[in-house]
Amino acid sequence: MRAVTGRLLHAALVAAAISSAVAAQQPGGQVTAQALRDGLKDPSRWLTYGGDYANHRHSPLTQITPANVHRLVPQWQFQTDTLGKFEAAPLVLDGVVYVTGPLDTGWALDARSGRQIWRYKRDLPSGLIACCGLVNRGFGVLGDRLFKTTLDAHVVAISRKTGAIEWDAAMENFRHGYSGTTAPLVVKDKVIVGIAGAEYGIRGFIDAYDAASGKRVWRFYTTAGPDDPGNRTWRGTDPKAWEHGGGSIWVPGAYDPELNLVYWGTGNAGPDYSGNEREGDNLYTASLVALDADTGELRWHYQFTPHDIWDYDSTQMPILADLTLGGEARKAVLFANRNGFFYVLDRATGKLIRAKPFINTTWAKEIRADGRPMFQPNSVPSEDGTKVCPDQSGGTNWMPPSFDPSLGLLFVTARESCGIFFSWKDDYTPGEAFRGGAVQRLGEGQFSALRAIDVATGERRWEFPYSSQSWAGVLSTASGLVFAGGSGNVMAFDAKTGKNLWHFQTGSSLYAGAITYMVDGRQYVLMPSGTTLTAFALAEF
Amino acid sequence: MAAAAMIVLSLAGGRAAWTQDRGSRAETRPSSNPLEGNAQAISNGAAMFRTRCAGCHGPGARGYLGPDLTGFWAAGGTDDRMFAIVRRGVPGTDMIGADPQRVLDKDIWQTLAYIRTLSAVPTSPPTGDAANGERLFRTNCTGCHRVDGRGGQLGPDLSRIGAARPRAGLAGKIRGSADFIRTGYEPVTLVTKEGERIRGVKKNEDEFSIQIMDARERLQGYLKTNLLEFTSDKQSLMPAYGADRLNDRDLDDLLRYLTSLRGTDSGQR
Repeated sequence: MRAVTGRLLHAALVAAAISSAVAAQQPGGQVTAQALRDGLKDPSRWLTYGGDYANHRHSPLTQITPANVHRLVPQWQFQTDTLGKFEAAPLVLDGVVYVTGPLDTGWALDARSGRQIWRYKRDLPSGLIACCGLVNRGFGVLGDRLFKTTLDAHVVAISRKTGAIEWDAAMENFRHGYSGTTAPLVVKDKVIVGIAGAEYGIRGFIDAYDAASGKRVWRFYTTAGPDDPGNRTWRGTDPKAWEHGGGSIWVPGAYDPELNLVYWGTGNAGPDYSGNEREGDNLYTASLVALDADTGELRWHYQFTPHDIWDYDSTQMPILADLTLGGEARKAVLFANRNGFFYVLDRATGKLIRAKPFINTTWAKEIRADGRPMFQPNSVPSEDGTKVCPDQSGGTNWMPPSFDPSLGLLFVTARESCGIFFSWKDDYTPGEAFRGGAVQRLGEGQFSALRAIDVATGERRWEFPYSSQSWAGVLSTASGLVFAGGSGNVMAFDAKTGKNLWHFQTGSSLYAGAITYMVDGRQYVLMPSGTTLTAFALAEF
Repeated sequence: MAAAAMIVLSLAGGRAAWTQDRGSRAETRPSSNPLEGNAQAISNGAAMFRTRCAGCHGPGARGYLGPDLTGFWAAGGTDDRMFAIVRRGVPGTDMIGADPQRVLDKDIWQTLAYIRTLSAVPTSPPTGDAANGERLFRTNCTGCHRVDGRGGQLGPDLSRIGAARPRAGLAGKIRGSADFIRTGYEPVTLVTKEGERIRGVKKNEDEFSIQIMDARERLQGYLKTNLLEFTSDKQSLMPAYGADRLNDRDLDDLLRYLTSLRGTDSGQR
């Protein structure tokens, strides 16, 4: 025992010496839990999917302005050698870009030139079962480690310096339709992730893993089991419906350090379009859950779409905002939902403050004061098909919005659409598609647009319609710019008016949002498109 | 189910490759669907299609997240090719391969037998004189349409149109009552800053540019900042052939000719 203690003490002393030496070398310092809390206070960095724990995706950088953005030109490109597409938010710290790609690849790149420093690739098993793209939405970072989820339902830690694997934890059995695509949210000493696969009858969950060891610290199931009072909301002919009831996690949540709560949007109930076997609200699918960051216990939940039968995944990025509403200071959480409504909730209690549609909706036109939607008749998927707006891809989707607190505007990539929803009875078989129907999209009148929503009133301030469907995320900056795009064009807009000020055709569709960082005194905007990253900065002539 | 299994076994001559291996190898696999037209197989295939394929390909296989399958055979696809796509998947896409552990060969053949019934093929006995129809086609249509390498390219190639579209759909298009316009052939009118008026079909577009083939089959792209206006036209570039231009008997002949066009093996669309 004494020898072991001695060795441990020696190791601790060595580690302390190394880390202080390393901290002295790194210009920005180690990525500590405090650095993550500081978020974009050091705007040379981009440390989390949403920029900071509040998920504003709003940078303080002002070198690029509405007056000079027309001088933005490409500085470098990085192209992967994979098939698939980027859906990730790249991370940047101390002159290095860390980004994940399709098929569980990842890179460290020189932020000045785009040149590869190291490459990571997971050896994936055959027989992967993953819906909607073999993609990944980004790394998490803490200290010298990067974390990511994998398509075969693992979460891994890799060395930030070399890309070598440091620990590997299995979340679930990928052969039963489980997969991981979300970027992690690193909070204190924990890596918080979620599982996907609601098209295959999974039981969804949010997990926290110890960043040092990879041991699972807690799990919150997004479908209520028999020990949870929410289980009452799974009635119907299938008594085990909750076991394959969905509730996927696709994008990271938000974190409030004062309340010590993580906020996460949960996915659709399964089977997607057939609800008879699972009568009831189906908690906690299509909801926002607020969990204690240390224990994973549920503090409160708000369900956006009770008894979801339209695949209205609430897997959007929650945004924390301190607002003044009616003269009163409110700690709010903002949520532009797939179901077409923009919600403002109290983030301490989960009570609804306001909900207003930001697109045309027919399944419900209003949310009542008690928070429940007023369901419209003739909206239920059927054997012969029922027309509902929006279609199953929703009023918005995984692509992240941005919030400018000085203007009080939320910028979101919105879709106007309708679909004919069919439903039939599906029997659950592990690993097999479990949708209970399908949707025929209606092209007529469908379009997508960048919309600015006044968060205090829910009113639309401006919109820019795209010429084809856009899946681009949004970035905004303190100089009053919004970066978004569609049809392969990355575009800059005046945040106040929506006027398009600049664009660049990247040559491939946009499935992620831009980020921005500073290196060598220059502000870069980094945009993923297809399998290419393009870095832009102001021309220096 | 049992009947289908009997057919499968008898075709295979009871070879070990069918009865023991869950996934057959390419050299032992039949090149055409042994279950085509089999009622039980089609019924099972319909259920399998709905649970395994419709989620991406749509309830009628007309496309959704994945492509429209109803024109697969018309475009030159074979049973063998579709089987291979289903078995192996398409790397880098959501079309994952079908694990032989879980999806048997006969499951795939049954599903294909069902998908085949969704392809548009006419069932009523043909009427009309195809030879006269061909003459009418050469006079009226080859300015814009190509068959087997002869004709214009402003409109779609029609070499396989008989297998791709039902007769009634073709009649609607010729008479001008059908409003469906294929992607890549939507009519547009551009007016340049010099005042030149250009009519053509749209090949692509984004927020700042538009790419067309004009009425003289010239390919060109335009920056929208260089255009005074650009409009998507309601009226197809294809004229409507009402009864005054093409009487009912001539229409019948033309349809007989068009529905006979099942394509060569060139693989061209």
